[in-house]
Amino acid sequence: MIKNLGLAFKLIIFILTSTTIIFVAAFVYNYHYSKKTLLKNIEENARNLTLSTVYKIETVLRSVEEVPLNQASIIEKYPYQRQDLLKLVQSAVANNPEIFGSTFAFEPYAFNPTLLYFAPYYYRNNEKIILTFLGSDSYRYFYLDWFQIPKEIDSPVWSEPFYDEGAGNIIMSTYSVPFYKKIDGKNKFRGVVTADISLMWLKDIVSSVKIYKTGYAFLISQNGVMVTHPEKQLIMKESIFSIAEARKDSTLRQVGRKMITGEPGFVPLQDFVSGKKSWMYYAPLPSNGWSLGVIFPEEELFADVSRLSKQVLLIGVVGFTFLCIVIAFFSRTITKPLGSLARSTSEIVKGNLDIELPEVRANDEIGKLTRSFKEMKVALKEYIANLAATTAAKERIESELKIARTIQMSFLPKHFPPFPDKVEFEIFASLEPAKEIGGDLYDFFLLDEEHLFFVVGDVSDKGIPAALFMAVTKTLLKGTAEPQLKPSDILKRVNLELCQDNESNMFVTVFCGILNFKSGELLYSNAGHNPPLLVRAGQEPEWLELPKGFFLGVFEESQYDTKKVELRSGDLLLVYTDGVTEALNENKELYSEQRLLETTRTYPDNSPEELVNNVVNAVKSFSKEVSQADDITVLALRFKGIKEDSPYPGFFQYA
Amino acid sequence: MEIEKKREQEAAVVSLKGRMDAVSSPEFEKEMAALIAEGNNALILDFAALDYISSSGLRSILTITKKLKEKDGKLLIAGLKGMVKEVFEISGFRSIIPIFESVESARSQI
Repeated sequence: MIKNLGLAFKLIIFILTSTTIIFVAAFVYNYHYSKKTLLKNIEENARNLTLSTVYKIETVLRSVEEVPLNQASIIEKYPYQRQDLLKLVQSAVANNPEIFGSTFAFEPYAFNPTLLYFAPYYYRNNEKIILTFLGSDSYRYFYLDWFQIPKEIDSPVWSEPFYDEGAGNIIMSTYSVPFYKKIDGKNKFRGVVTADISLMWLKDIVSSVKIYKTGYAFLISQNGVMVTHPEKQLIMKESIFSIAEARKDSTLRQVGRKMITGEPGFVPLQDFVSGKKSWMYYAPLPSNGWSLGVIFPEEELFADVSRLSKQVLLIGVVGFTFLCIVIAFFSRTITKPLGSLARSTSEIVKGNLDIELPEVRANDEIGKLTRSFKEMKVALKEYIANLAATTAAKERIESELKIARTIQMSFLPKHFPPFPDKVEFEIFASLEPAKEIGGDLYDFFLLDEEHLFFVVGDVSDKGIPAALFMAVTKTLLKGTAEPQLKPSDILKRVNLELCQDNESNMFVTVFCGILNFKSGELLYSNAGHNPPLLVRAGQEPEWLELPKGFFLGVFEESQYDTKKVELRSGDLLLVYTDGVTEALNENKELYSEQRLLETTRTYPDNSPEELVNNVVNAVKSFSKEVSQADDITVLALRFKGIKEDSPYPGFFQYA
Repeated sequence: MEIEKKREQEAAVVSLKGRMDAVSSPEFEKEMAALIAEGNNALILDFAALDYISSSGLRSILTITKKLKEKDGKLLIAGLKGMVKEVFEISGFRSIIPIFESVESARSQI
């Protein structure tokens, strides 16, 4: 289909397609590369942001941890009274604004064998520090996590966040440090020192983390419980795992697991509140194993990249449109002259060589092409004119050749039977001219009332010179032949004549004979001609034995001999030129003497006319499509003789 | 027809292969004329591989013979066979051009 479209359209298609591919590839690469680079930067920033937040929180947590750690070491080292303890706790709360409340919580009966509970608790309430004693039937604190866990693991621990319902419904977390008493060289657990902190300040720190428009941070506890989150209803009520469960979000579950095991990381996920595609950096708080997550909404993250991409795309589209216009314009400037050139040349093809080709100003390929066409047109015109002239001349020459041919052929006797009143012999001859004018000849005439002269010859060349040479030879033979002369004498004389001023080295082969048709005596001579066939009546054809003799027209000193053969009634002589024996077929095989012999043998009883025609036809059907290269001449002479005892002269018999 | 020329001390030996007819004989004549013009006064034509000779081929040989005669040169023919041999016999060429069995025996006659 494409090949039927115009050049302009093809140009547009090909150029735009390739440009599009290049542009899209560059665009995609650029987009991904920018994204990757951006992501790397963002990860870096996110880590810094997250870690600085973690550090802020850590600083507070560490300073809080200091207090119960100190208190624990104090009461392990020094003896104390109830008052000392109260004072210690009170000052801890009073001196540390981050601490919401603090206590020494003793094992049952550890402080005083009579007291099941002993846990003096100071806490803040409206700028005041209030003392209360923990422990009751409904609040058996030594069964609570903040007491049990440090006791069990023998080390300080931050508790899971919890709602403190007794102290103003705030979310708190407790740092509990176990303390011991040395009894018999062994450390015996006595209780824990705690410091409660309100998580309100945590919320402030965490929510102060603002990234882009909707980015935010959240904190989960060691169990994955939401400690802070912009969505308040999640806090303490949901854990990262319950959210993952509800959303059937396995990625979130895996991330959650990593978070609570204390790993940092940077992952893509769906924001579990907005559902938007996001990235999250998370890092643990080393003190309590909580984890801070910072969420970056992807569309905001990549807003710049997207904006840039949109701009690039826009530039691309504008560029394409511009390119389209330029190509369309440019290809029109190319194709327009091409189109008119095509129209003009199709006129030329129709043969209209007078059509004007479009004017060209540019010197580009199209200009050159048009100029070439102009030159071609002029050359064609000249060529055609020449051709017409040449053809006319050739036709004239051909018609002249035809006339020459006709004249040449008219030299030859063509009326058969030539001597209707001569019953003693029959003669027939045929000359099949080759396409090119040739130099074969045959002739026969009566020398007197009992002698017939006959001749077959072949001039060595072809064309007008050969035809002229043939005419000269024939005329000389006719002029020379006399009953008193032997055939060899005739040839000798003709040779001498032909040799004079024969610059062209043309020559002619001749076989000639004089038949005494009363007696049957045949005298013959030869000048380099093919041997004739002698067909004795009722016998196999045989080659006539020839006297030596060189072509006519070459050497003045050439010698010729005459031989004699007695013909009997019914004997036939077949004379031919090499156009017969050297006729070629399509396999480049010669017709050959052998085939001539066969053909002659096949028709032993035919009249000379039939035999000649049979031979000519046999040669022609042998050559088939191969064009005849040489004249084909065949002459047949049958001696009938007169039956000695015939009562009627002229009544003859075949042998 | 293929024409192969060897210029030897005593004579130039020309080996012919194929058909010497109206088409190939003008070229043959030209090549031989060039050889004679070079000063090769003795030519041995090796006809051992020549399959056919037409009357125009014979005419070319005649022309060369005459040319050589004018210069007191010699034309010798060797290796006649088959149809070519017959043509030489019939035409009487044998009587005007020395014929040899082989190139070697022709060479020894110079």
